[in-house]
Amino acid sequence: MPLVTTEATVLQAFPYSETSKILRLLTPQNGVQSVLARGARRPKSRYGGILEPFTDGVASFYYREHRDLHNLSDFELGRSRQRLGRDLVRFGGASLLAEIILRTGSPQAAPEVFAHMRASLGALEDAPDGDVEPVALARAWSLIATLGFGPALDQCVGCGVDLEPGTALFFDYTAGGLHCGRCAAPAGAGRIIPGAARTDLLSFLAGEATALDRTAAHWQLLGRFLAYHLIDAESLRSLDFLAAALAPA
Amino acid sequence: MGAIDDLTTELARLPGIGRKTALRLTYFLLKRTPEESRRLARAIETVVERVRECSRCGNLTESDPCGLCQDQRRDPRIICVVEDPADIGAIERTGEYRGQYHVLGGHLSPLDGVGPDELNIDALLRRLGGSGGGGQVDELIIATNPSVEGEATALYLQKLVRPQGVRVTRLARGLPVGGDLEYADGVTIAEALSGRREL
Ligand SMILES: [Zn+2]
Ligand SMILES: [Zn+2]
Repeated sequence: MPLVTTEATVLQAFPYSETSKILRLLTPQNGVQSVLARGARRPKSRYGGILEPFTDGVASFYYREHRDLHNLSDFELGRSRQRLGRDLVRFGGASLLAEIILRTGSPQAAPEVFAHMRASLGALEDAPDGDVEPVALARAWSLIATLGFGPALDQCVGCGVDLEPGTALFFDYTAGGLHCGRCAAPAGAGRIIPGAARTDLLSFLAGEATALDRTAAHWQLLGRFLAYHLIDAESLRSLDFLAAALAPA
Repeated sequence: MGAIDDLTTELARLPGIGRKTALRLTYFLLKRTPEESRRLARAIETVVERVRECSRCGNLTESDPCGLCQDQRRDPRIICVVEDPADIGAIERTGEYRGQYHVLGGHLSPLDGVGPDELNIDALLRRLGGSGGGGQVDELIIATNPSVEGEATALYLQKLVRPQGVRVTRLARGLPVGGDLEYADGVTIAEALSGRREL
């Protein structure tokens, strides 16, 4: 039973029994792993309440092959992300990234996903108040690209022709990209997106947040795309949460 | 499955009780007089039949509204919002608080599918709003757990309640971050209460 010591980010933490917690950790070399943190809910726990969503640190756990749950032996705090809880969009945006990784993640090594998540949490914490939404959108789309299922925006998903920038085109959720104007009425589900939105989307996929006048359509596009590309088509709970958080009171 | 197995299985579902302890408890119950064991069975049955959520505050109670809601000596102008009924006990033990309570039934957690609709928030708004005998609340003390989710829940409530002109405060730090209010000691909670801040 080898002891694994690795950098880790807590994606999710939930109670297990009166005194313990189960954590879903994202690691560079071991992908997503579930660990049991015994005693973590006790008031005088040596973890001192750091085992919370989005905390960065170094985790040590006893890795048991062919098991889904490993025993955490230590967690050294790198950075607490408590600040994310003080803004619902930052909180919802971070939850969305965690949910996408949990729905697609595996115990395979994925250092680029790990690096992306760590950078994203910092970006969400540090975004100026007015920029939180574009930053959240950019981090979500660029995570999708990092995970390897980003939409094709440069070439038509139907015939492969290069697409001119700036025109409104049909975004096909099923095929995962844009159709040129000449391709026959696409069979897949989708919607026409304007040229400006195409430009925004290109920036988002590269992880760059652009200033947006209206964000509602972008959230909708992201939600629809994810619904078609995640294993179970059930909508993401974090997106529902974000919709509620962004709704005018 | 035999009767012994059945009881052991049920006991093992209780928090902090493993299969081994459950079996030991089963044999212990068998060694007592039948009347003693029946008394335990009746007590469990009675709790299940009689204890309900208070329709006003969400606390667990045998009478609706609960004793805390009915207590005339408690200040109806202050409501302390907690995640779970057990948190009420923790705050009551400090003897520092004389207002009323409201139990949310958890905290916002996007990943677990807990959004505002899953929490006991509508009843809280009714208590603050004009209809249904509300409108006399001056202050809402938000005593959700000092965790990321508890903090987000506090913030959500604050945004929701602000238009009603109610003063919203949050328990001060001093509570262990990420800990459960239910397990904090009385001094810590009392300090947090006295140092509560405006949101
Ligand atoms: Zn084409
Ligand atoms: Zn009550």
